[in-house]
Amino acid sequence: MTLGLPEHLAGASLGRALTRAGHSAAAVCLLAAMAIAAASVVDGRAWGLPEPRASAMLVLLLLAAQAAAQAALMRWPNVTLTVVTLVVGGGVAFALTELIMQPGSDFESTNNAMLALPRVALVLLGGAGFGSRIAITWAALGWGIGEAATLLAVALNDAAAVDWSGAGVWVPNVTAAAALVIMTIVRTFDGISRRSAARQEAGLYRATQQTRELAIRHDYELRAIARLHDTALSHLIAVATAGSGPIAERLRSDIRHDLALIVGRDWAIDHADHEADDEVGQGTRRPASSARADAARGRSPLAASTLTATAADAAGTVDAEADTGPAPLADAIDVARHAGLEVHLSGDPSALRRIDPARREALEAAVAQCLMNVVRHAGVDEVEVAVGPGDSELTVAVVDGGAGFDVAGVPPDRIGLRTSIRGRIEQEGGTVQVWSRPGVGTTVLLSVPVEGVGR
Amino acid sequence: MRGTIRMTQQEVDPLGGIAAVPLVGAGAIGTTTMAIALTWWHREEINSPAAAILAIALVAVAGLVAWVSALPARAPFTLERLGLVVLLALGGAVAEYVSTIGRDRYLYDDFGPLSVGLLLLALAPFCSWVALLVAGTLGAVVVAILGLGSAGPAVTAAPALSFALLNAVAVFAPAAAAAAYSASVVSETLAWQRRTNAVALENEAALRTGIARSVQQGRVSVLSREVLPFLAQVMTADRISVADADRARELADALRRALRAGIESTWLDELASSTTAMRGVPVTVHDEAAAAARLRVEQRAAITALIVWLADERRAAAITIAFATPTKGESRITVTARPGAGALGRRDIDRFVAVARAVGLRGEVSSTGENIRVEFRHDA
Repeated sequence: MTLGLPEHLAGASLGRALTRAGHSAAAVCLLAAMAIAAASVVDGRAWGLPEPRASAMLVLLLLAAQAAAQAALMRWPNVTLTVVTLVVGGGVAFALTELIMQPGSDFESTNNAMLALPRVALVLLGGAGFGSRIAITWAALGWGIGEAATLLAVALNDAAAVDWSGAGVWVPNVTAAAALVIMTIVRTFDGISRRSAARQEAGLYRATQQTRELAIRHDYELRAIARLHDTALSHLIAVATAGSGPIAERLRSDIRHDLALIVGRDWAIDHADHEADDEVGQGTRRPASSARADAARGRSPLAASTLTATAADAAGTVDAEADTGPAPLADAIDVARHAGLEVHLSGDPSALRRIDPARREALEAAVAQCLMNVVRHAGVDEVEVAVGPGDSELTVAVVDGGAGFDVAGVPPDRIGLRTSIRGRIEQEGGTVQVWSRPGVGTTVLLSVPVEGVGR
Repeated sequence: MRGTIRMTQQEVDPLGGIAAVPLVGAGAIGTTTMAIALTWWHREEINSPAAAILAIALVAVAGLVAWVSALPARAPFTLERLGLVVLLALGGAVAEYVSTIGRDRYLYDDFGPLSVGLLLLALAPFCSWVALLVAGTLGAVVVAILGLGSAGPAVTAAPALSFALLNAVAVFAPAAAAAAYSASVVSETLAWQRRTNAVALENEAALRTGIARSVQQGRVSVLSREVLPFLAQVMTADRISVADADRARELADALRRALRAGIESTWLDELASSTTAMRGVPVTVHDEAAAAARLRVEQRAAITALIVWLADERRAAAITIAFATPTKGESRITVTARPGAGALGRRDIDRFVAVARAVGLRGEVSSTGENIRVEFRHDA
């Protein structure tokens, strides 16, 4: 999520919001005034005016005219309709004053509620444009035209009614003036406060971007860690513990195998390259697992010769189903076979083709690490791998009947489980569950979502 | 994410919310001034001076509560606070009605209903449009009833409904304006954020490629440049020498340490190292449990903004970020800044704290000696 609004959008956005606020208040004022007039039409009492029903009806019609102009302006905010609304509003203010302030009226001056409601609406008309200055200009025009129309109406009837000390019939409408003052303060304040907050706002926006980049960077660091752990660390330990003497052919072969996968490429670039491939739409993605499987095949094509009949059947089915691309889990099984482990594969490995290649790559790498853990720690020579496709999740279980371990007591330096297995799967939105007891064996359940794309 | 119905400008645009606080103060002062002025204006209609004074006091307290509740240090503004403000202001309207009962010639010069409306208007940046509309409607109903009661003594001959409507519009028009403002700001901000996030997702592939290349310079990658040639040399050699075994042990230890450090690091360590390198301000992180990884994206952004601001223009000479062990379901993050050459004002930091509050990080600023200390607490 991004916090707040950038400065270049905030001004216009708040301007529109303030205009809509004015529109709403203006609409409520006009509707309320019309309702009051309608009530007088029905009731027959209209502020002491002669012919109350007719007068109230006339008031209602005048207010309806202003409401129509205001509605048109709200629907199509342009300069022409703004001017039309100002003219209509001025005319209504003039006519209403003539009507309401005639002899016998209960109102003592023009500073009254019935004149205030349409006058406030005229101040809040919200003309074309969203800037603070133009908004204040339209509002000031609305107030000025309304006040001038009221003054003119009073003066035409009786010049003596205009007393500049405020003792006459004409008295500036306080509510309309208050509406203008409030609007001016809000608009002016908004402009000033936005300017002072601008730099910090930009800082917040940049921080959001920076945070995202930091997360991606950390993600790649973890990928790098997992890849290095899988390839280099175990070989270094093997060399260190072997001591001086001839190199075991198996160690040499393992090192050659892993170096073939990583020399001349970069663990982090691999994934990015796939995404770039996607972008150009070549549709020939070659995930690292593909290269890895190719390398494995180069030495010993997948024949599943050491697999059980079940596993061989499954692998054969997979190959038959898909003419292109490596068989699912081929690389992981090949690595395990190379280490002398017999893998019993069950379930439907072809289900792995349903998930995003990047996610499949992560899943296969995690399975490979599970199998290597069996080789190193379980003390058994066979393992069960079961693939369980589901509607929303694909699950792979790696089960061995070996030494087992205390799950709660895994020392912090056991990087393989944390990074190469759990880290990889969780980065893809999946989960890892481990059940193990010393002397009983270990079951690792890897689940990843079927839908969506890998990271 | 919640929709526009329950969200406020303060939540979606925290700096906009902070910027609006002085307007609440202005609204509170204006409303109180209006109450005093109009009470003086219609002083001849007052029956009960005590009730008139109470009315002014209640409106003033309502304004004060609104102002204090909107202060950045108390963010976010809650529905309960809105309810309290409306209740107090309505109390003022009722007290004013009582003060002039039977002698109120014109409703036009009554301040009670307008006080409720203006306070709702001032609180628009802090409340959702639904809350404002509901509060406005309820307030309008109450003052409409008071308007019916004022119909008898009024000098203008009009149906009682007119008086109810006149009182109601004084509350409802500002409330409608406030609701329209809130809805518009929230929907526009969320729409922009959705667009920004969509564009960010579209550009993610390119961003990842660029970052992946730069990660090659990372600590693990650099180490791999020593490890891989060594393994290649071993692969082609006939024998392993004692020196080879020792070198393998050294490299394994170094690699293990690097791997562990990499696993235990978080985005915050990346931020600290990049800030130290780019701005020359040492940033130290104490986060043994990698708690930073559990912060939400917007919480990370708020902390990043503060750290970058502190390091910018050398406002801080050194920054320490410490995560404490969660207690009672609450986690604590303490940012301590030693003042540097630039100006390090608490008021500026308060803005960041207010932003952090909007994303669920409750912050407090304090001074310990010459250092500035910001403590954030959040639900674990």
